[in-house]
Amino acid sequence: MDLTRRHFLTSSGAVVALAGLAACGKGPASDPSAIVVWDNLDNQDLVAYFQKHVVEGYPGPGTVRFTNKSTDTIDRLIQTSLAAGSGPDVIVTPGPSSGVTEYTKAGYLVDLDGYAEKYGWKSKLATWALEASRVDGTLRTLPTQYETMVFYYNPETVQALGAKVPTNQSDFEAYCEEAKGRGMVPIAAGNSDWKGANEWHMVIALNHGAGPAAVYQALQGDLSWEDPIFVDAITRYTDYFKKGWFGGSVEDYFTNKFSTLYEQLAGGKAGAMISGTWEFPYLPTYFGDKAGNDDVWNWAAIPSLGADVPNDVWDLAIGQSAGINSNAHDVDHAASFLNFLTTDKLVILQALVELNAAPPPIDIKQSDFSPGTDERIVRLYTTLSSAKTIGYPIWTFFPQQTETYIIDYFEKVITGDLSPAEYCAGIQKRFTREHAAGKVPHAPEPGVALK
Amino acid sequence: MTTTSVPATSTAPITRTRPRPSVRARLSQPRIRGWVFLLPLIVVNAVVVIVPSLFAVYYSFTDWSGIGPATFTGLTNYRDLLADDEFLNGLWHNIIWTLFFLVVPMTMGLFGAYALTRITRFRLLFRVLFFIPYIVASVVNASIWESILNTQSGLGHVLGINPLGDPDLALWSVMGVNNWAWWGFLVVVFLAAMQGVNPSLYEAAKLDGAGPVRQFFSVTLPGIRPTFAFLGLMTIIWSFLAFDYVYVMTQGGPAGSTDLLSTLLYRDAFTNLSAGYASAVGVVMALISTAVVIVYLVIRKVKDWEI
Repeated sequence: MDLTRRHFLTSSGAVVALAGLAACGKGPASDPSAIVVWDNLDNQDLVAYFQKHVVEGYPGPGTVRFTNKSTDTIDRLIQTSLAAGSGPDVIVTPGPSSGVTEYTKAGYLVDLDGYAEKYGWKSKLATWALEASRVDGTLRTLPTQYETMVFYYNPETVQALGAKVPTNQSDFEAYCEEAKGRGMVPIAAGNSDWKGANEWHMVIALNHGAGPAAVYQALQGDLSWEDPIFVDAITRYTDYFKKGWFGGSVEDYFTNKFSTLYEQLAGGKAGAMISGTWEFPYLPTYFGDKAGNDDVWNWAAIPSLGADVPNDVWDLAIGQSAGINSNAHDVDHAASFLNFLTTDKLVILQALVELNAAPPPIDIKQSDFSPGTDERIVRLYTTLSSAKTIGYPIWTFFPQQTETYIIDYFEKVITGDLSPAEYCAGIQKRFTREHAAGKVPHAPEPGVALK
Repeated sequence: MTTTSVPATSTAPITRTRPRPSVRARLSQPRIRGWVFLLPLIVVNAVVVIVPSLFAVYYSFTDWSGIGPATFTGLTNYRDLLADDEFLNGLWHNIIWTLFFLVVPMTMGLFGAYALTRITRFRLLFRVLFFIPYIVASVVNASIWESILNTQSGLGHVLGINPLGDPDLALWSVMGVNNWAWWGFLVVVFLAAMQGVNPSLYEAAKLDGAGPVRQFFSVTLPGIRPTFAFLGLMTIIWSFLAFDYVYVMTQGGPAGSTDLLSTLLYRDAFTNLSAGYASAVGVVMALISTAVVIVYLVIRKVKDWEI
């Protein structure tokens, strides 16, 4: 059959029209009034839970359309889509210091103070977290996850080392010496999968080496980051790296993947691991029934690594913040979803119990947990609820460019390319600029209670 | 075609107007038709290349976070670049990267191709084998090599070194992996060019007593010179755009030892929220490539090359 030009054009038009109609078809995935949510859940169990209990379980008003994005790209995708005048209705960022000020100044984030009154967020969410989520006095995001740094250990390994879980600097150093002497990796550590792991160590060096009081003063601009208290703490901590206590060697630290760290901890090849409570969901794969072994993990407070620094400092961090896009299809609906996401205790606790998923900073009591809940989880969140001494994680309380500098240049300090004093001078230079521009998130005073 | 008829009795001056071709007829003229076909490309190019490039140049003169409005700051970003050790470090690594790829894969590609011209059996097989790494996604290549070089159980363990963790080795390791995927492509291109060299030249060289090495330098190399020069040009340009292998394998680390201008640009734009500064880095990269192209065009004109 000959295909004439007229037939060709007619057929092509029909195909295009059909494709267009199909694309415009009304289905659950294309509901134009749905609240659009992007998140970066890197665990398939979490994705399934989120879809079932948060997206489909959201009682309304409105429905939710959820897309999971890669952790590596979600920030860039959100930035570019916001610049193009679109983007998801609920905007997530890795904490209140990551882009929230810039988004606010560009007019991308809705003022949430009215909704805070409406939904009673001030009585439901921790004050420190809400205060850290303010930009120029206005609430712009809500904390959706909170976390802290802990000392992970395998009780069997601690016993084999003939030691106790260290609580102070001398115990910690003796513990590492002993482990190193036995050919072990004293502290499992590595940044091959996530360069940002560098700042976890700086959180420890600053808050547990120099102490949270000094960090608070510096965050207020009342103490220079070049002060000897910081230089000495960083020198001490980075010397631990140079001794091979973290990751086995400085070189291995750069190439160790997270899976390697978990294996070392479970297999007794590492004396301990210092990381955040975000590790909880990943550990069951390497310990116990799921891993087909009898290994057990546990956690303890980070030991004090400096003179006069308490041994119960809790580095309270917001792991993720969520705000509402000014261009959201329906801001009220998006606020309602945000309220559900951050305050529905039933869904939050269930995710915590089932998947060890980090909860928002809501008040969690021991009685809130159902019987049989993992003791380690109950102990963590009840401890945090009564914490008195607060540390200041970088990704929550430090401004963006200072944070990036801390991450990038930490490597030069542990390789010896940069002295701790020069490193601190670099921090001070960037912090001064951002402090003057009002980009430092609000930090609670040291010693204040969580609420 | 229309004609103008003039009444015989009319005394009015005779005016002859040229017949106006229809729109269709005008579009059918070869010269116009070429532009009509080119128009969509020009529009697409303007939308996705020219306009964004102009914006990038503009933003390079601003203090822009990449979010919201930009503040004009003149040449501040460019002045800061000159004093920025990260920028100079990235530029230096790009220069090393360029020299490495101008020498190692080009040499391997040339000799690989020349060797293939000397065999008849399995030539196609070798071409395919050499070419396969090039068509595998760079992310896959990089991830595979990360495992191969691993210090726990891979080559690093066997050799007792940490190729990606040692700042003195990391850049060379990443370049080596990228080269592994790249040189096979050069083999195929050089081989195609070598097969276009007139066989009688080789016969003449043989009669003059030239061996394979002499034939290579006196016949093959001059015969493929335009291809060689073009690939050299592209190697320089691509070297300044290199990003994927570094990003996947080391993210610029350890301690900045594999940082390139492209990884610095990415970090400044999306992590540091300094898109204005990142734009200045991008403009410098574009200027370097432009300078290389201009030098090439001048040489081509002087030497009267066809490619």
